[in-house]
Amino acid sequence: MSEVKMVGLTIDGRTVRAAEGTNVLQAAEQAGISIPHFCYHPAFEAEGNCRLCLVEIEGLPKLDSACSTVVREGMIVRTSTAPVLEARKDVLEFLLAEHPLDCPICDKAGECKLQDYYDRHGLFPGWFLEAKEKRQKKISIGKGLLLDRERCILCTRCVRYLRKVTGTGELGVFERGVRAEVGTYDDAPIDNNYSGNLVDICPVGAITDTDFRFKTRAWFLEKRPTVCPRCSRGCAVIVESVSGYPLEEGERRVFRIRAGENPAVNGYWICDFGRAGRRDIDEGRQERVIKSASPESELSWQKALADVMARIRSVPGPERAAKVAVILNSRMTREELTLAKRLFAEGLSLDKIFFADPKPGAADGFLLTEERVPNARGVLQAGFSPRLPDLDALAASVEVLLVFGSHLLDHFSEEAVSRALAKIPSKFLFSAHTGPLDRLAEIVFPLAVSAEKSGTYINIDGLRQSFGRAAEPAPGVVSEHEILGCLAAGLGLNVGEHDVR
Amino acid sequence: MLKGWLVLRELLRGAAITGRHFFANMTFHTLKLFGIRAKRRGAVTIQYPEERKALSPRHRSLHRLRAREDGKPSCVACMLCVTVCPSECLSVEAAEDDDPEIQKTPARFVVDLNRCCFCGFCVEACPVDAIRMDTGEIRLAASTRAGLEISLDKR
Repeated sequence: MSEVKMVGLTIDGRTVRAAEGTNVLQAAEQAGISIPHFCYHPAFEAEGNCRLCLVEIEGLPKLDSACSTVVREGMIVRTSTAPVLEARKDVLEFLLAEHPLDCPICDKAGECKLQDYYDRHGLFPGWFLEAKEKRQKKISIGKGLLLDRERCILCTRCVRYLRKVTGTGELGVFERGVRAEVGTYDDAPIDNNYSGNLVDICPVGAITDTDFRFKTRAWFLEKRPTVCPRCSRGCAVIVESVSGYPLEEGERRVFRIRAGENPAVNGYWICDFGRAGRRDIDEGRQERVIKSASPESELSWQKALADVMARIRSVPGPERAAKVAVILNSRMTREELTLAKRLFAEGLSLDKIFFADPKPGAADGFLLTEERVPNARGVLQAGFSPRLPDLDALAASVEVLLVFGSHLLDHFSEEAVSRALAKIPSKFLFSAHTGPLDRLAEIVFPLAVSAEKSGTYINIDGLRQSFGRAAEPAPGVVSEHEILGCLAAGLGLNVGEHDVR
Repeated sequence: MLKGWLVLRELLRGAAITGRHFFANMTFHTLKLFGIRAKRRGAVTIQYPEERKALSPRHRSLHRLRAREDGKPSCVACMLCVTVCPSECLSVEAAEDDDPEIQKTPARFVVDLNRCCFCGFCVEACPVDAIRMDTGEIRLAASTRAGLEISLDKR
């Protein structure tokens, strides 16, 4: 491996060592000095069109942009001298001369770079007496994306993203000078699986998301990282939820999912399929324990679980291998799978442990993989060999069936499943979402979704990623981890919960 | 015996205070009747609720939402009032307006007077001067809690 050559330079009197080829802006950021910028994004080459990152470099007659200047040995950079501050102020003034200042109705307000930089580096009074230019304020440019040309500061991040990352190049800058504007070619809409990232990279509120539009304000959102559970790539995502005030009448708790940063997996991007995972957290959730014999009664999961234990206990030990069956899924975390292995395979010595996962979808060649489960590698590592159940064989011999997740229906028709389940005396469903299987089960337990749990997933490349709870669980839901731990304790099995990793 | 004297003494003191106020007020009212200006005016009793005292222009009473010229609410549902509210009594939901110049309009604007402390922060925070507390309505009692949750956009 070739050694990366390091270069020594001085930024604001601090001696900084940076790898050869990095730019001054990155070198400063590594040293903890932030230089404001709009158009620069670490994923693209520097373009230097916003002129906000101007810094003083000794030996150069004028200020130069930090993003497009590569570090040299012995370079002396100053980022907060009077001429630099003055230049920043002037750049902001030029940008704000045409900016509509409709922050009250702008979804970006609160996380807008223009707002932040004005607050930090501007704070000048408005001088302009002239009316601002009117432009189109609401143009649909594709799947769930709205463009506001008044707010756009022409940093061209979106244009470069679509050219360099997705390679689709739907957006371009049209006209010149004061008439310059971002637009789609021949009004062809943006239609790729990564268009949601445009909203994330737009430094102002020019490109906004219709799914998030006007739903809440950015400053109410609690932002917590997790790993995306929608395919086996395991991208870093940030779940943004409102847990307390202001409570809305709608049942939305999670307002959006955004890309997190993970250079080893997804860089700065996530796909729209993963972004739409917001709906899994809020919509169609199983809300309480439902016992089919008395559907109206309120029942705690602990009490309901006692019924499950009683049924398992009523099957004599030696017959359990044949008469008790479990259907798991690859959405469970590595910890839960280990618990399941120790409880069902070792503790109860069951033979009939099956897996029912969502059907694979099409991969798109970038991030989205074929497997629509996050932890298929974890299932193998836990020592399971996943196989689908044979419904007829199941119906013929099994007396107690525990089903985790409702993905049986992805592989068998509803009719076939209900016919098979009708022959099994006791069947219990553990599911996060409501579905047609609910009415077939004796007791339905509401499960937490992965954003409400902590755990570990092992992605398609074998990378082990632990994550914490990203959203407060819906009231009444319980995780597989708790269910399995409680079952083990109730059945008198020591599964060594403390070392499940 | 001593107790009796003490009570009587306090009674007389009370009567003296009442008498002083009565004669003082009578003097000032009489002076005013003859058009003679004195240092202060005599005290007046207002027969509330038949009679109402005028409220100060700065007085903070029930909130109202101002309307645009065409009757649409001025509010753009920016939620700054919701953000600043110290008693967390405001609940605003935004909706899409067809006019691209307006875009955002409140679908629901509820103030919960059970919680409101009439601090007026919402009025100060509003960037479009849409909410004001100048209706002069101060009789806001209701017999249920729900009766105090007032939809300002429906009024």
